[in-house]
Parts: sequence; structure tokens; C-alpha cells
Amino acid sequence: MSALIIYAAFAICFLVLVLVLLTRGRTHESSACPEQDTGTPDFSEDRWLNLSERIFDPEDARWLREELAFPVLADSLSESRKQLAIRWLKTLQGAFTEFVRAPEMLTDGSPEVDSSQSWRLLWLTVRFQMLIVYALMVVRLFGPYHRLIPSFGWMQYLRPQGLQLQPSPLARHMR
Amino acid sequence: MRVQGLALTLCVLIAEGTLLYRGLRGGFAKFYPLFYTYLIYDFTTTAGVFAIYWLWPSLHASAYWLCFVLSIVVEFAVLVEISDHIFQPYLAIRSLGRALAIAISGLLAVIYVFPAIFPPNQMRKALLDFALRTSLTKAVLLAVLFLVIRHFKIKLGRNSAGLFLGFSIYLAVNIANFPMEKRFGDHYAHVLWVASPAAYLVCVVVWTLALWKVMPLVVASSTGRTREEQSEQAALGLVRFNNTLSRFLHK
Repeated sequence: MSALIIYAAFAICFLVLVLVLLTRGRTHESSACPEQDTGTPDFSEDRWLNLSERIFDPEDARWLREELAFPVLADSLSESRKQLAIRWLKTLQGAFTEFVRAPEMLTDGSPEVDSSQSWRLLWLTVRFQMLIVYALMVVRLFGPYHRLIPSFGWMQYLRPQGLQLQPSPLARHMR
Repeated sequence: MRVQGLALTLCVLIAEGTLLYRGLRGGFAKFYPLFYTYLIYDFTTTAGVFAIYWLWPSLHASAYWLCFVLSIVVEFAVLVEISDHIFQPYLAIRSLGRALAIAISGLLAVIYVFPAIFPPNQMRKALLDFALRTSLTKAVLLAVLFLVIRHFKIKLGRNSAGLFLGFSIYLAVNIANFPMEKRFGDHYAHVLWVASPAAYLVCVVVWTLALWKVMPLVVASSTGRTREEQSEQAALGLVRFNNTLSRFLHK
């Protein structure tokens, strides 16, 4: 009996989701006004890249904490940098979505692009989406100064003491 | 109940006929070739099964299930066509609908749909189970497609939105109905006789309204660039975005 309820609930939730997404999409389209668009930044500009370098750079917080001995101020700075980092990543995500949404404009009779190119473009899109979700998650959880790619430096401690990696005979021969 | 069910089936035939006439006469079929082929198949099989019901009633159940199982498999191809149509103008995600359809259908087919067919079971229950699980797979695929469309803020357009909405209504009713039929058997079969064609009738009416006029989503304007040049341009842009983000990951 419980299976029947689960299936019925799934059917209702599915229909509600579809209707909500359809109606929301329509209201979003009708309320979208080009004048309200603040414009997405050009990420090829040095100004934006320099800003991001500054946001993700831990030196300012370290200077406050260690050299000036203001740990509370350093924490406050880290928190505000975290919010800035999240906003920066979201802006990058928004700019990417804008880029992806730009429709193809063509001359008549231009030949079709092969499907391998289309799959390559899709892979680049999916890769970016996965990376940005991961980056946002790491920044939200650990802050902007955390290593985004985990370090594997601890692996050297797993090796038995005294065991040194020797170059293979082939590598020695090639040298 | 049977009379109501047959009357509804007749209404489905009329609605499908109207949709087909409109599509073929207006030349809309070239935009959705698989969808219109599916409609022709469905129209002819529904009419055929209708005739079998009157001429050879003993063969009706077998004919109905054979046509139904084939049609639910073909519906996957139609969903792929509609999603292709939605993502077609966007170079970077042109294959996204197809990729999602292949990934979700393939995964759920292996872990959820095929196990329903293999165990030695009653034929009727196995068919109902198969129909239920394929409907659920299609519903999951549709829900994911809707969420992705929403994520990229893509304009769905009246045609594609109507096609998706029609399918969603039909699938939701099937998902609620098939387990009841499985559980209560012949007691519920009478309800299914009415509910199934009624849901399909609503679905076809939505399709007819949505496809009364085919409206292209994006008006292409001439920029003097070929598809290949645009594709290279898009690839360069995507690589630039990936590199911008990768810089911070490798810090």
C-alpha cells in the first residue's frame, strides 16, 4: 500500500514541479528587461583578474594576524573576503551562463559542424559547471584561503622509512 | 466504463487526426520529424486496435500491449528530439539534451527497467511493471531537462513547452495508475479503461494547442561567419572560462 502512496506522491510532485518551472519560466521571460541588466564583466580584463588575485590572496589576513596581532580584525577580513569570493565566483558563473546562452547566428547554407566538436564544447561546459560548483562549495565551507585542490604531500609519510625511489634502468639508460 | 473508454479513444483519434492534419498541411512535420512519425504510428495503431476490439475481441489485449510497449520505447526518441530542438541554437550545449537522455535512460534501464522484465513473472504484471518503470524513467528525464533549462535560463518556447507539458501529464497519470492496476488487478482495470485514454486525450489536446502554430525560437541573422568559425569561437571562450577558474584551483 505504501508503494501506491509513494508512486502517487511522485506523480503529483512531478506535475507540480513541471507546472511551477513552466509558469516561473514564463514570468521570468516576460519580466526580463534589458535596461535592468547590469552587464557581466569581461573576464579577459586584467582589472578583474587582479581583483580576484586580491580576494583569494591570504597575505592581508596573515599580516593583520601575525605582524599587527589583530586576530579579530583578521577574522573579520577573512569573512568579508569569503563573501567577496562567493560573489566573484557567482559573477563568473553568471558570465559563463550568459556566454552559453548566446544563440548561434549564421549565414545561410553554412555547413554543419561535426558532432565531435559539439561533444567537445559540451565537455568544456560540463567541466566548468563541475569546477565552479566545487569551488563554491570549498569557499563556503573553508573560506577563500583554503587549497582548492587537496594536497597529496602527506603521502610521503606513508612510504616506509629509508625507502628511496630509484630511477628505473631504462630512465638511467636514457639519461 | 468500457463505453466511456471507447468514446475517449475515439476522441483521441479525432484530436490526433487534427494535430496530424495541421502539422502535415502546415509543413511543421519537418521541425519535429520523429514526433510526427510517432503520432502517425500511434494514430494507426490506435485505429487498428480499435478495429480489432470489434472484429476479434480475443486478440485485443495482446494487440493493445504490443503496440503500447513499442510506443513507450519510441517515446524516448521523441523526447531526445524535443530536447535537441530546445538546445539546438546554443553551440556550447547543443548536445546536452541528448547526453542527458542517453545517460539517464541508460543508467535507469540497467538498474531499474530491465530487472522488471527478466524474472519469470506473470506476463501481465511484467508488462505493467515495464510500462511503469519506463514512465518513471521518462519522468526523471523530463524533470532533469526542466531543471537544466531553468539553470541556463533558456527560453522554452510555446511548442517545446507544450510538448513537454503534454508528456508530463500523460506520464504522471500513468505513474499513478499502473501501480494501482498492479495492486488491485481486474478491480482497477475498469478505471484504467477510462483513465488511460482520458490522460492521453488531455496530452494530445495540449500538443494540438501548442503546435497549432510552429514558432522558431531564435531568428538567425547573418553575421558572415560560418558554423565552424562560430564553433571555434565558442570553444575559445569556454577554454578561457575554464582557464580563469583553473588558476584558482591550482593556487
